Amino acid sequence: MNEPMHRYKYTKLTKAEVDGKLRATASGPKCASKLSDALAGKSLKIVTDDGPVLSYTFKSGTKLALSEDGKAAVDASYGALGLEQLIFFSHMIPNSSKGYNVYLDTETNLATVFEVWFSGGKDSQGQALDDREVQRQIYFGYVAGPSGTTPPEKRHHTTNRIEGKGMYWKQDTGIETLEFYASIISTNFVELTRHADDLSYCSPSDYVLVNDNMFLYDRTECEFSGIMTMYAVDLFTQTQVGMRLGFNEKDELEYYMFRGTGKMVGHLTSLAPFDEHGLVVNLGMGPAPKGKPAAAAPAAAPKGQRTAYRPARSFTNMTEEQVHQAAEKNTTTFTGDPNSPQQQAGMMGGNTLPYSDLLVGKKFTLRYDYEGPVYEYQVTDIYNLQWRKEGETAWRKETYRAFEADEKLVFFAHMLGGSRPKASVKIALDLLSGLTTCIHSKMGTKYYGNEVSYRAFFGVAEMEGLEAPQYVRHEFTDELVGRGFTRTYSDSMTSMHLYTTPHSSAWTIYTSNQTLGMQWCAPALYVKLRDGVYIFDLVEEACNGAETCIIENDKTMRASGFGFSGGARGVTLGVIGAIARDLGQYDVKEYFGPKVKGRGV
Amino acid sequence: MAIFKPTSESTNCPKQDTGRRSFIRKAGVAASAALASAAAGIAGTGRDRHPAKTDEARQLANRIGILEDAEAVRGLCRQHAGYLDRGRYEEAVGLFADDGAAVYNGGLYAGREQGVRRLYCGAFGRGRTGKSMEPAPGFGFDPADHPETVEVASDRTTAVCRFPYSMRAGAPMVSDSSLVALARLQGEGIRQWWEGGIQEVSCVKTGGAWKIGRVEYRLLARADYRPGRTSAEAIDVPPCARTFPADPSGPDTLV
Repeated sequence: MNEPMHRYKYTKLTKAEVDGKLRATASGPKCASKLSDALAGKSLKIVTDDGPVLSYTFKSGTKLALSEDGKAAVDASYGALGLEQLIFFSHMIPNSSKGYNVYLDTETNLATVFEVWFSGGKDSQGQALDDREVQRQIYFGYVAGPSGTTPPEKRHHTTNRIEGKGMYWKQDTGIETLEFYASIISTNFVELTRHADDLSYCSPSDYVLVNDNMFLYDRTECEFSGIMTMYAVDLFTQTQVGMRLGFNEKDELEYYMFRGTGKMVGHLTSLAPFDEHGLVVNLGMGPAPKGKPAAAAPAAAPKGQRTAYRPARSFTNMTEEQVHQAAEKNTTTFTGDPNSPQQQAGMMGGNTLPYSDLLVGKKFTLRYDYEGPVYEYQVTDIYNLQWRKEGETAWRKETYRAFEADEKLVFFAHMLGGSRPKASVKIALDLLSGLTTCIHSKMGTKYYGNEVSYRAFFGVAEMEGLEAPQYVRHEFTDELVGRGFTRTYSDSMTSMHLYTTPHSSAWTIYTSNQTLGMQWCAPALYVKLRDGVYIFDLVEEACNGAETCIIENDKTMRASGFGFSGGARGVTLGVIGAIARDLGQYDVKEYFGPKVKGRGV
Repeated sequence: MAIFKPTSESTNCPKQDTGRRSFIRKAGVAASAALASAAAGIAGTGRDRHPAKTDEARQLANRIGILEDAEAVRGLCRQHAGYLDRGRYEEAVGLFADDGAAVYNGGLYAGREQGVRRLYCGAFGRGRTGKSMEPAPGFGFDPADHPETVEVASDRTTAVCRFPYSMRAGAPMVSDSSLVALARLQGEGIRQWWEGGIQEVSCVKTGGAWKIGRVEYRLLARADYRPGRTSAEAIDVPPCARTFPADPSGPDTLV
């Protein structure tokens, strides 16, 4: 698949189409590995807290009968796989759109049940659900013993102990993925074999702790195909058993079980309190009931409730003409009191660097390679400059802002006046080496008129006192890949940047106790300017279309740059600044690039 | 008057004396002691059966009534503060008289089911405003300098209670950023701060029960502070600029 998932137009399968395709599940899940017959001939009664009582009779290694809450038994086909003391079995219920996935802990007699089903309707935030999206509800419980046996008191439970781990997986199907469990409710994953591009995506997830070395996991690709992947992991042996259910981009049913072998690729540091164990996930449960404490969770969340970011559904597609008209009415460039960065940038600019006067009074030409632009500059003062393209006679006046991102390394930005669509440049200019990189951005992509498109140009500066190299240039880099940083834009807003692949990045929001929660991701580019100094440029594609272009300095742990966006309210170029903390790194570079993909290299 | 005056040390104000609730609680204890004293005086008068003492008895009875009213008003204020502390905005609104009003951040919110509900269930609810919290470091104050006062009118139909407050306040972040969109999904995306001042609660007796006629938050200081931080800076929060309905959660009048 070479169409990025966030661009792919998944079919809106109807309920009838979904039900029709699900008939194939009557034969049970497929599996490339040998299924387990550990349950054959056994009967189990699984009692769940606040959920169903499931009475199973396993007639063979592939056939079972299930009675839910004492109702008449139904026959179904199933598959089972063992992992250490866990037995995992999966089945759908014929003539329905639901099924059960059960993890039996044979050491403790605990059982965790994932009920899955397909349904439309709306989620707790009022957003429409696709009929093809797999829903789930987790029930914790146990296997009932003989009459008179005392039920176990403990349960498997949700956890934050997986937050920060990252793993590479290879299934027995040959499918390879990288999965970064960076949040307690979401995952960043990279499809290394299914997709042509090295891009990461985010999906709502659940994490359940079995014991100190085993956990259960699921993710549902909400906003994309709606397909679900779930598995149990043994961290000691770095192995998994799992199940995949749903409809792929070709609308084909996938219902199979798998074994997989993995590798821990690293851990990012959790900043949650040491006494926070993540036993309760209380994120995004919607507004509290009337009259109840706003911070408290509702007594009982609706079945299947999960918090899913669905930005493409709320992103209004504007035409180029609409964006142009909006920009004509309002193009905002570093407005407000120039001495008050907070006022200018609001939430994203509380921690900007001071503006630099390094360019004041200078005249120079920036010449970019391969037919790239050539800009001539005369810098008037700390806020104003004149520019023109080489060959033009008239100067254009613009307001600009500049930061000194590293020693004599200036990062400045301004609008390109008169441009249609509206365009801006973010320019890194090294006053020591004479090297320069220009991120040229303009409103509009082939998908949305209000989404920024961007491009990096590498070149040199012609300036009195500088002797720029003939061949050396700034260059794209993978040095940041796998690294995670906090970004504290202001005391009210901190997120994490996770540089997932050489071509994408994720941002994750911290909760009030600094647990990582909601996240999303997008394609990005990375440019190395100096050792430990990089440009990171990301556009929130199919999300809100906004660009974040920052220079990050590993020595100062500061990020400074610019945001560029447009929409119904016009076009805005503003400043961004953040204080960073290093959260660690996933060792994943080996999984990316043309050599790994075997693309003729 | 500077109750919340910036100080060089953050330890001027012991925690147990800084909370709004603890302050009211202490005042309530004092009122109970006064009531007990007055009741003892009446008991003595009854035994004497002296005609000259009748007026004194009436005065004492009235005095007891006033003390009872004062205690009831304190209880009402305590309940109001408690509801806000726990985010029970609906219940807080229910303590107001029909024509009750609230004055906050330069705006007058009139009518229990109109303005007050808009402020409490709207603006306060979205910003999670009202939770009692310690004063920000460097913004400590001495409650003894500004003791709680309760003034009950001689006809015992109105009363005014004044006491210092120290609470969390906030407002939803206004941004198109996906960061804020994500934060909202997890129940956040709120800019929060500390603020303190004097709360003046005017009460009216309606049908024998005390109701809040008007609450006025007389701000003395605001700071960018959340519990656990070691320092805080004073901040400005723009006062209300638009009235309802132009601002759906705005006041009826700018004051």
